Amino acid sequence: MNPKDENQSGGDVARTLVEFLEVAITMIVSLKAAFERRRYMNMVVQRARHPELRDYIHSAASGLLPFVEKGLVERVAVVFFSEDNVSVERFIFKLMINTSCAASVEEGQLEFALKSFLIKLSVSKSLVKPLPQSCRWEVTAYLRSLPEVGSSKDGEQWIPTDTKQWQKPPVITPVKSLNSEPLCLQLYLEHASFSERHNLVKPNQ
Amino acid sequence: MKRSFGSNSSNNSGSGSNKKSKKKNNPSNQKTLGAAWGAASSRSSFRSAPFSDFGSYMEVKNRKLQNQFETEASATSHGVSGSEKLIFQGVSIFVDGFTIPSHQELKGYMMKYGGRFENYFSRRSVTHIICSNLPDSKVKNLRAFSRGLPVVKPTWIVDSISANRLLGWVPYQLDQLNDTQPKLSAFFSPGSHLTPQMASPVTSCQPDTGYSEAEEGSSIRAEDSEEARDNVNDEIDGVFIENTTAELTEETGTGDLKSSETNPERLCNYDIEEKEVTSEIQSTTNLHSASDNKSFHANGKNAGKATVAGSSTRRHSTLEDPNFVENYFKNSRLHFIGTWRNRYRKRFHGSSNGLKWADSGQNTAEVDKKSTIIHIDLDCFFVSVVIKNRLELHDKPVAVCHSDNPKGTAEISSANYPARAYGVKAGMFVRHAKDLCPQLVIVPYNFEAYEEVADQFYDILHRHCRKVQALSCDEAFLDVSDLRDVEPEFLASTIRNEILETTGCSASAGIGGTMLMARLATRVAKPAGQLYISAEKVEEFLDQLPVGTLPGVGSVLKEKLVKQNIQTCGQLRLISKDSLQKDFGVKTGEMLWSYSRGLDLRSVTAVQESKSIGAEVNWGVRFRDQQDVQHFLQCLCKEVSLRLQGCEMIGRTFTLKIKKRKKDAEEPTKYMGCGDCDNLSRSITVPAATDDVEVLQRISKKLFGSFCLDVKEVRGVGLQVSKLDSADLSNKGSRTLKSWLSSAPASVQIEQDDNVFSAVVRENSDRNRHVAGGVSRLRESNSAESSIQSGDTNSSLPPMCHLDMEVLENLPPELLSELDGTYGGKLYELIEKKRGKRKINNSSPHVSLDGTTAGIKELKPLSVKIHGLSTSGEKEYKKPFVPHLSTARASIQHTIDMTDLMPSSLSQVDVSVLQELPEELRADVLGAFPAHRRQQSSSDVPMETCKKQDEEPIDIKGTENENGFSYRSLWFGNPPLWTEKFKVSGNCTLEFFSETYYKVAQSRPMLSPVLQHAISEIGIFHDASANDLDEAINNMCELLKQYIKLKVEGDIEEIYLCFRLLKRLAARSQFFLQVYEILSPFIQATINEHYGGSLSIP
Repeated sequence: MNPKDENQSGGDVARTLVEFLEVAITMIVSLKAAFERRRYMNMVVQRARHPELRDYIHSAASGLLPFVEKGLVERVAVVFFSEDNVSVERFIFKLMINTSCAASVEEGQLEFALKSFLIKLSVSKSLVKPLPQSCRWEVTAYLRSLPEVGSSKDGEQWIPTDTKQWQKPPVITPVKSLNSEPLCLQLYLEHASFSERHNLVKPNQ
Repeated sequence: MKRSFGSNSSNNSGSGSNKKSKKKNNPSNQKTLGAAWGAASSRSSFRSAPFSDFGSYMEVKNRKLQNQFETEASATSHGVSGSEKLIFQGVSIFVDGFTIPSHQELKGYMMKYGGRFENYFSRRSVTHIICSNLPDSKVKNLRAFSRGLPVVKPTWIVDSISANRLLGWVPYQLDQLNDTQPKLSAFFSPGSHLTPQMASPVTSCQPDTGYSEAEEGSSIRAEDSEEARDNVNDEIDGVFIENTTAELTEETGTGDLKSSETNPERLCNYDIEEKEVTSEIQSTTNLHSASDNKSFHANGKNAGKATVAGSSTRRHSTLEDPNFVENYFKNSRLHFIGTWRNRYRKRFHGSSNGLKWADSGQNTAEVDKKSTIIHIDLDCFFVSVVIKNRLELHDKPVAVCHSDNPKGTAEISSANYPARAYGVKAGMFVRHAKDLCPQLVIVPYNFEAYEEVADQFYDILHRHCRKVQALSCDEAFLDVSDLRDVEPEFLASTIRNEILETTGCSASAGIGGTMLMARLATRVAKPAGQLYISAEKVEEFLDQLPVGTLPGVGSVLKEKLVKQNIQTCGQLRLISKDSLQKDFGVKTGEMLWSYSRGLDLRSVTAVQESKSIGAEVNWGVRFRDQQDVQHFLQCLCKEVSLRLQGCEMIGRTFTLKIKKRKKDAEEPTKYMGCGDCDNLSRSITVPAATDDVEVLQRISKKLFGSFCLDVKEVRGVGLQVSKLDSADLSNKGSRTLKSWLSSAPASVQIEQDDNVFSAVVRENSDRNRHVAGGVSRLRESNSAESSIQSGDTNSSLPPMCHLDMEVLENLPPELLSELDGTYGGKLYELIEKKRGKRKINNSSPHVSLDGTTAGIKELKPLSVKIHGLSTSGEKEYKKPFVPHLSTARASIQHTIDMTDLMPSSLSQVDVSVLQELPEELRADVLGAFPAHRRQQSSSDVPMETCKKQDEEPIDIKGTENENGFSYRSLWFGNPPLWTEKFKVSGNCTLEFFSETYYKVAQSRPMLSPVLQHAISEIGIFHDASANDLDEAINNMCELLKQYIKLKVEGDIEEIYLCFRLLKRLAARSQFFLQVYEILSPFIQATINEHYGGSLSIP
């Protein structure tokens, strides 16, 4: 077995995954707003109409590729913040890539598996909470370790950041899980726990 | 929008064209449109007649789609080549849902290969349903969905196309109907050659899928018989080979391949046979003619030589020799040159690459003036190599030729200088050469010697210079520009001397500022000389040089130049570049202009990666019928495939070149030559690069078919593969679990063994020698083992004792249970025992070693010794397992002194392992015990202990339950352990769980479907009596807890589902309410631990 080969095929999985993330992030955001319909993996998905938004999502996802390839990324979160910068809702992709057996998987199979996420996402509007006015959102990636600064050009789009946590552990709603050899991917939704949400909503009222 | 428009147009009393085609296709349907609609309603599921109705609309639409399909299909099949085999004749598919390839592609395939594609399902017209995934509801109600039609994966179509025949659909049945996953056993089953998916899964089939094992059996059988047929073919081939090499005693009946009766009386020598063959050809085809082929010329006379010594009778055309292609290439000089390049690349490419001619590009361009290039060429290579050891021939005229028959129609491939003095030239017919020089000696090729000399030649060149461009096996350019300290002339003579000394062949060298000048200089320097053309002398040299000698100036161009009254380079130089380019084209003009000035922009570069690989035969090609062609193509493809594999390349584009006799061309003078031909070529590009013989054969047959030729006219066939890719790079995709399975365990095992050994070695330094012996012995056995394993994965299961326990334990439960199935359930017992043992044994320092080495290791000398050394651990270890053998325990002390490789008594042998061993091995092991021990133990003890072992697992389970055993154990196996346990529990809820799990687990081994069933049948759970209720609740909680732990890492979706289902159950049943109350905090805690949050409860 050639280690180089492994990396490359691991890269294939990573590439597919990143591409998928881009679409999935868009889907998540689209649960909140109007988007145009496109086809990906042979199914209808949403795509941002605004070019800058599209760019943001694209660059965020593709900027992750080097990290995903190295197996650094532990979670990718799409976080919605309320006006006062308190996160309201978080979609979390928890992923694990096993590069050593990535070779044995056909891309078609992987796509097939990832497609189920998109299907589930497209019907998960009922899971999300209505957002307060003038929210913003961002994509955050949780890495297993911080990459060396300037180690690669690609990584520059991503900047280190602090993450805000809720004071209490959040409430989790699983959306979809994929547990297979090269890739374990779980998508779940985090909301602030009840008491906190109560606090959060109150000042707005 | 489009659809409704379409229906409208056909609606308006029928658009004319539509109606016409309808008439054509379906004459019985010639009614008025209205009536047709009426009739349609019987077909569609909608009953009402009027046109506005959906059913009639569908009818019309279906018919229209059908017509469209047909017209398109006929268009494509004409468009491509018309020779596509209609493999899907009679197959009509309906594609359901998302598929890979998409339904559009599938439709295209069906069009191309004679099948039908239905847009709407109908029991009547559809023969196969294609889908890759089915919703659960359809799986359950399969008959309602499929109406008994086969439901097949799209790969069936793809594979059928690539096999170019309709494959049986049975192995391609949808997995969901068949089983959840491709079985691991498919990897082990003997029939699985190509891809694991294609192998028919050797499993028990489900009763409700509607296809029986018998069918599967027959498909396998069919495969077998095919293999058998292949074998027969091979044998036949073997016979043919024998025939051809069977020397003079046997000769095949002339001409006819089929009636290959041997004729032993006819002991004929080579010449007679040749004559016969020729006459045969004349009588059958009367196509002898006297024109030589240009391509032959350009190539330097073609080969296909017979040894002049005449030791073998060879047949000389595709008509006589079934192994013609093979022999042809075996004897071809061009083939030698072609494949030599490869050899060279492999031999030297690494070294030149390592040095990296980083500067070669710009450097030579910048300091063009100063560069010095040596062109070195072995003098009449093909002759001098052959005669170097035959001193008597040195001064005689000698020529190399593949044949020395008196007819003299063979071409001379190379002649030495004495022969050249008589005017003998390469490419000349032997007959003519003998006219010029009657004493000419003809010698055959000696390819081995050529190879050796060529290697020596390049070894020398590479030693002296790092920039070597190999032109051929006997000719190369050296760039010596940066070797400033050495005079190029001196260097050239050194090299030449060295070549003469090492190889015994003389070489000539030309030195010049450009590759062109060096080459021209060599021409003058020959033979065995060298010439340096310095920059000042270039003009002088070129002035009188005839234009024809410039490389790139062939006879046609030369004639054109002569017409313009240009004979020498000097005259050529007088003409401006512009007018040259105007007269001869931009490139040729440029070339002429610069060559006439001695300029040459090319620089010495390493051998380039070849852009294409192929093989061509244009000598001796004569076909009688299609069958000959097929056979020939097969052989040619084999050759090409071998060459591809030799270069480790795979290619995507395949070009078939055909030489077709020109209409008015007569039979060529050259015996079996190709004569005057039209050159035709066609190519095809496939999506996936390959070097597979079968694919090549199929493609080449297809291409050949597309020429639509009379096979009798074919004089040459070549197959070229381009768009090459490195083979190892592209293999990555096809690497499968198979290789992983076969390689990983073996290596892991060896590593562990070494660890064991090193530990032992350290402890027993006094017994070093002995241990070393043991190591080597075990190493041996290990290597044997691993080789067996890798070999076995294709054919049969490795014996259980070869399995690596650690690997097994880390396998996902599903995989493990599948493996267990293939071992007939014994695997679990083994694992369970191991597990129990480890638990109990955890005070011993050697736990990990004991646990991880596979069963067999315990029987091997050294691990036994470990037992002996750690006596304390040993005791503990033995106690729970074989307490009845306490009498033998005293011998543990004894082992420490033991030098015998075998343990002293059975008490040291893990009986469970012994039990698992195959019969013969067990006998061997028992036989290997010292005699006095055997007396007491061999006969009764093993039997006794074996029996005890059988009872053991229950005890183990009992203790495990108390200790809180490994969290996965209830979920071990297929079906998992708990199902069995719950079944006999006596509690109806648990029994229900067990039963339901059996039902659903085959499609999805999950708990959530079981819970779902439980909800629908909640009514039956109420008879639990109070005393066993607690126990049942405990059991249920344990089951769920273990399940949650199992799933929490990867599948919280499933946990969430179970959690919510449990909640719903809790609302209806007291039993589940208790379970829920116990489990709820547990679930939340587990989730919190892993995800830092709690599950939301709706």
